[in-house]
Amino acid sequence: MSTRESAPGTTGGADVPGPLHGGPDDEYTPEQLASMSREELDLLGAGYDDVQVLHVDPGPEPGSAAEQRAVRQVALTFGLAGLAAFAAFVIYAGSGWFLPDWQWEITEGGWSAIFTPLIGALGGLALILVGIGMVLFTKNLLPHETAVQDKHDGSHFDRVTTGATLVGGLHNSGLARRKLITRSLVFMGSGIGLMLLMPLGGLIRNPNTGDPLGTTSWAEGVRLVRDDGSPIRPGDQQPGSLETVFPAVPGGNRESDAATMLIRLRPEQVSVDRPRNGQEDFGYGDYVAYSKICTHAGCPVSLYEQETSRILCPCHQSQFDVTQGAKPVFGPATRPLPQLPITVDDEGYFVARSDYIEAVGPTYWNRERI
Amino acid sequence: MSTTNPQSDAPSDEGAPRGLRRWSGRPTEGSPAAAARVRRRSKQRRRVANVAGLMAALVLTGTLYSALSPAQATEESAASESSAEAAGRELYERSCITCHGENLEGVPTRGPSLIGVGEAAVYFQVHTGRMPLVRQEAQAPDKPAVFSDEEIDQLMAYVQANGGGPTLPSGDLREGDLAEGGELFRLNCASCHNFVGEGGALSSGKRAPSLEDANDLEIYTAMLTGPENMPIFGDNQLTPEEKRSIINYIQTIKEQADPGGFGVGRIGPVAEGVVIWVVGVAALLFGIFWMGSKA
Amino acid sequence: MARTATAPGVPTSRLGKAALEVDDRLIVAGPLRRSLNKVFPDHWSFLLGEIALYSFVVLLLSGTYLTFFFDASMREVVYEGTYAPLRGAEMSAAYESTLYLSFDVRGGLFVRQLHHWAALLFVASIVVHLLRIFFTGAFRRPRETNWLIGIALLVLSFAMGFTGYSMPDDLLSGTGLRIVSAIILAIPVVGTWVHWAVFNGDYVGEFIVGRMYIVHVLIIPAIILALIAMHLLILVKQKHTQFPGPGRTEHNVVGNRLFPAFAGKAGGLFFIVFGVCAALGGLVQINPVWLWGPYNPAQVSAASQPDWYVMFLDGSTRLFPAWDINLPGDYTIPALFWPTVVLPGILFTLLALYPMIERKLTRDTASHHLLQRPRDVPVRTSLGMMALTFYVVLMISGGNDVVAEKFDISLNAMTWAGRIGLIILPPLAYVFAYRICLGLQKHDREVLEHGLETGVIRRLPHGEFIEVHQPLGPVDEHGHGQLAYGGAPVPKRMNQVGGARRAVRGFFKPIEEPVQVELEQRRDEHGLAAAESDRELTTSGRPSDGGRPQEPRD
Repeated sequence: MSTRESAPGTTGGADVPGPLHGGPDDEYTPEQLASMSREELDLLGAGYDDVQVLHVDPGPEPGSAAEQRAVRQVALTFGLAGLAAFAAFVIYAGSGWFLPDWQWEITEGGWSAIFTPLIGALGGLALILVGIGMVLFTKNLLPHETAVQDKHDGSHFDRVTTGATLVGGLHNSGLARRKLITRSLVFMGSGIGLMLLMPLGGLIRNPNTGDPLGTTSWAEGVRLVRDDGSPIRPGDQQPGSLETVFPAVPGGNRESDAATMLIRLRPEQVSVDRPRNGQEDFGYGDYVAYSKICTHAGCPVSLYEQETSRILCPCHQSQFDVTQGAKPVFGPATRPLPQLPITVDDEGYFVARSDYIEAVGPTYWNRERI
Repeated sequence: MSTTNPQSDAPSDEGAPRGLRRWSGRPTEGSPAAAARVRRRSKQRRRVANVAGLMAALVLTGTLYSALSPAQATEESAASESSAEAAGRELYERSCITCHGENLEGVPTRGPSLIGVGEAAVYFQVHTGRMPLVRQEAQAPDKPAVFSDEEIDQLMAYVQANGGGPTLPSGDLREGDLAEGGELFRLNCASCHNFVGEGGALSSGKRAPSLEDANDLEIYTAMLTGPENMPIFGDNQLTPEEKRSIINYIQTIKEQADPGGFGVGRIGPVAEGVVIWVVGVAALLFGIFWMGSKA
Repeated sequence: MARTATAPGVPTSRLGKAALEVDDRLIVAGPLRRSLNKVFPDHWSFLLGEIALYSFVVLLLSGTYLTFFFDASMREVVYEGTYAPLRGAEMSAAYESTLYLSFDVRGGLFVRQLHHWAALLFVASIVVHLLRIFFTGAFRRPRETNWLIGIALLVLSFAMGFTGYSMPDDLLSGTGLRIVSAIILAIPVVGTWVHWAVFNGDYVGEFIVGRMYIVHVLIIPAIILALIAMHLLILVKQKHTQFPGPGRTEHNVVGNRLFPAFAGKAGGLFFIVFGVCAALGGLVQINPVWLWGPYNPAQVSAASQPDWYVMFLDGSTRLFPAWDINLPGDYTIPALFWPTVVLPGILFTLLALYPMIERKLTRDTASHHLLQRPRDVPVRTSLGMMALTFYVVLMISGGNDVVAEKFDISLNAMTWAGRIGLIILPPLAYVFAYRICLGLQKHDREVLEHGLETGVIRRLPHGEFIEVHQPLGPVDEHGHGQLAYGGAPVPKRMNQVGGARRAVRGFFKPIEEPVQVELEQRRDEHGLAAAESDRELTTSGRPSDGGRPQEPRD
C-alpha cells in the first residue's frame, strides 16, 4: 500500500485479499479442513499449540448404569444448590414480610439472631454445591485425557532480531554521540520528576514546631476531671483504687495523650513508695498520678493490680510498679510512666501543678532533646 | 440426720431467712429483669438447696450441741448478738478463724484483716466460692459456694457487726443507662475483664476472672470492695447509679444473642485466626485433595 | 475480509456464524485456541494459588458492596441507630456507618463478615501457596520474577488487611492503629516526620481513616490486580512446573488441557471458595465491632490482638527485651523499632532474596521446570521448617495472653517461654527436619535397591528368617535393583504396583477392586449352588465352621 492510497479521501487500493496468514493457513486449505472430523481438528489445533494428547480415558458409556448414576448425582447436586439458593432468597426477601423481621433486637435468640446465619448457611451451601456439582461433572462425566505440552525456553532467533531492532533504533537516534541531548534529557528528567512529585510536599508537616509530642493539655491549675467532667476531691477514692482522669479543658477526655491514672495507694504501698528522684513531691498525700499512655507503644495501660502494685499493659504486657515511680519491671517497655505533679486547689479539688515534665507516650528519635 | 430431711430443706427456699436479710439484693419483684434473674438462678438455687439442706442440718446439730454444752465463754460475751450474728460467729470460728484471726484482725502470711471490709466483701468472697480458701495460691479461684445463702447472710451479719464496712445495695441493680454503662465499662473494667467480660490474664499467673457466671450482686460487691488485686471503685468514684449502669451493660451484653452467627468465645482475632485455619483452610485443602484424586 | 459464502468450512449454525462475526473483528480464534489448549498439571497443590485468586475475587465483589454504605470520616456523631447498648454514645462517623451496615442494612452484616473471612482466607491461602512453592523449589530459575511478585502480593495483602481492619475505628482496631503510630514514631531520624505525613499531624487527627480508605479501596487493590495479572501472564508464558514422574521432563508439561477438564475443576473451586467464605460469613461471627465499642484513646481491652497474619509482629514486640539505644547527642533508637520494623524488614528481604541466595550457594544457575520433593533438598526443607518454627513461635506469642488465660499459664512464663523458644526451637526444627528428609530419602533408595516388603517371611535352610522383597525392576547378580533414584515417588506397598490387589482408591475409605482372577472365580461360582460355594470357602478358609452343613441362603 502506498501513502497515496491511504491518504484521506481516497478509496485506497483495490479490494484484493492479502496473502493468507501464513503458517497453518498455507498448509491446510479450507477444503482439507472441511473434510476432517471434529476430533481430528481438535488434535490438529492442539498440535499447533505444542500439545499432544497421549491417552484418552473416555467418560462413561452413554446409557450405561455408571453414566446414569453420575448424571443423577450431578443433577441432584445442582438441584439442591438451586433449592438452597431459592431458600436463601426467600429468607432474605421474606424477612419482615411473611417471616419475622430481621432487624436486630436484644434477645437471647430469636429471628434476628438467626437471620444472618440462615442466609450464610443456605447461601454458602448453594455455592459449595454448585462447585461440587461442577467437579463431579468433570470427574465422572467428562473423558479423562492425558495431554503433554512442550515447553520452550526463549528463542535465539527472537533475541537476535529484537536486539537488532532495539539497538538499531538507539543507534539511529545518535544519543550516544549527541551528548548535549543526553545531558539535557537527564536534566529535564530530574526536573520533571521533581515537579511531578512536588504535590506530595503537601503531606509534609514539621513535627517539631511547638513540641506537640512533648506537651499535653495539662498545665498548672488544670483540674483533674472524670470522663463526665466532674472534678475529684481527695476523699472520693478508696485506698487501693484507680481512676482515669482527664484535663478539664474542652475535649480533654478525647485527647490521645492526656489520659492519666489517679491512684490512691493503700497504707502498705505508701510505706514502701519510692518515687523517682526529684519527683518525691509529685503526689498528694497517698495519691499519685501517672500517664495512662504506655511508654512502649502508646496503648492505655491500666490493668492495675492493687495488691502487687503493678500496672500491666494489655498490648505487649509491659509491667510497671507504681510504688517505684511506675518503673517498668517486666516486658518491652524501657521508660517509667511519666508522673503528673498534682495538688489540691482552694475548693479542695485535685489540680495539676504543671504539665508532665517529660514527653508522654512512646519513645521517638529526638525525645530526649526536646 | 439425713439429707432428705424436709424441714432442713425448707428454710433455704422460703421466707424465714429472707427476713434476716436487712439488705434486699433482689431487685423489686415484678420488674422484667428481676423475673429473668429469678428464672436463671432458680436452677442453681435448687442445686444449692440440696447442699444447703445438708449444711443446715449440720449447723442445727452444732448449734444444739453448743447450746446444750455447759462451758460456753462466747455465750455470755455475745449476749447482745442477734441470732444471725451468733450463727455467723459460729460459722466464722469454724471456717475462717484460722486465717483471719479471732477478732477479724487477720493473721500475718495467712489472711488479711476483715475489719472495714463489710458485708459486701463477705458476700462476694463467699458467694463466688473464693472463700474459704483451699490453699494459698497466686489468686483465690472461684468455685461452687461452700455455704448456703442463709449461712452467707449469717456470716455477713457477723462481719458487718464486728468489723463494719461497705454494705450491700438494695433495689434493682440494673437500673441504669445502657450506653453510659458501656462507656464506663470500657473505661474502667474492659482493660482487665475484656470487651465483653471474658476475663484476661494479669501478671505472673493472676487473672481477671470472666464475668460469665457473675450475678448482679457479685459484680456490684466486687466493684465496691475490690477483691484481691482488683482496684476498689468506691461510691464517690463510681456512684451507685453508675455501678448499676455498668451491671446493666454487662448483663445485657452477656445475654444478648450474637447476630452474626457462632460467637467463637467473642475474643476476637485469636479465635478467628484459629477458625480460618482449622475450618476455612482445612475445608479447602480437603476440597482440592478431592479434586485431585482420581475418579 | 473477503470470504465467499460458498467456501467450504464456513459455519452454517447460528452460533458458528456469530463466532465468525466476532472473529472477523477481533481475531481471537488463535489466542483462544492456544489458551484452551494450555496444559495444567493434575496435582492438588497447584490449586493453592487459585484459592488465593478466587478469594481475591470474592473480596472485590463484597468490598464494592461495603463501599456503598461505609462513611470514611472521623466526624464525631452521636449514635441513634438500632443497636441499643450504644445508643447515645459518641463515636466517629466511620464507626457509626459500620454499625449501620451491620444492623440496619438487610444482609449487610452477612456481607461484612463474608468480606472479613475472605480477607483472612486470602492471606492464609497466599501463605500456603508460598510454602508449596518454597518447599518444592518452584521459585528456581526462570521463576524468580514470579517469586518476587508473589512476595510483593503477600506484603500488599498485609497492608490491605491492616487498613481494612483499622477503618471501622472501633476500640480494637483503634488500639492497633495507636501501636502503628508508635511504630512509625520509633523509626530513627525520620520517624516523627513520617508520622506527621501519614497522620497529618499528631495521633490521631482527623485524616487517617479517610486516607486508609482510599488506600484500601483504590491504591492497593489496583496494584494487587496489576501484579496478579503479571503473575498469571508470566505463569502462562513460562508454563507450569510439575513433579517428576514417568514421561515428565524439563521440556514438557503433563496434565489436562484447560478446556474442559481443568476449567470444570477450577470453576468448581471458585464456587467452593466463595461458598466457604459465605458459610463462614453467615455462621461464624467475626469482628463484632458493636461489642468492642467506639475508639477512645483512653480505653483498652484485655487481649487486644491484630488479625492472625500480623500477630507474629505483635508477638515479636511482646518478646523483644526493653533495649532502647541511646546515641550521643541525646538521640534514641526505641526498642520498638527492632521487632516491628527491622525484624519484618529482614524476614521479608530474606524471603524475597531466597532464590538468589540459594542460587549463589548451590551454584545452580540452570533453568528448572521439574519440582523437587522436599526430602530431596534437605537443607532447603530444613531451613524452611526453621523459618516456619520461628514464625509460629512469634505468632503464638502474639496471642500469649489469650493462651495464658485459657490454659491457666502465667503470662510472664509465656513471655519467657516465647523468648527462649524463639532461640532454641528453630535450630531443633532444622535438625529434626533434616533427619526426617534423610530418613525418607534413605527408605526410597532402600526400596529401589532391595524391593518392596511383601510381608512374606521365609525360613532359610540354616534357620535364618528373612522377609521376601519384591524388586521394582531388573536386578543385578546380587539381587540389587538397578533403578536409579529419580526424585519421584517410589511405591511402598505391594498394591501400589499391582500386587495383591489393585492400588487403593477411594477418598473416604479405600475401595479395593477385586483382581481379574477373583472376578473369574466369582463368575465360575455363579453357576454353583450357593450353599456349596459357601462350604467350599468354609473348608478352605475358616476351620472354625468345621465344614458343618449350612442352611442354604435365599
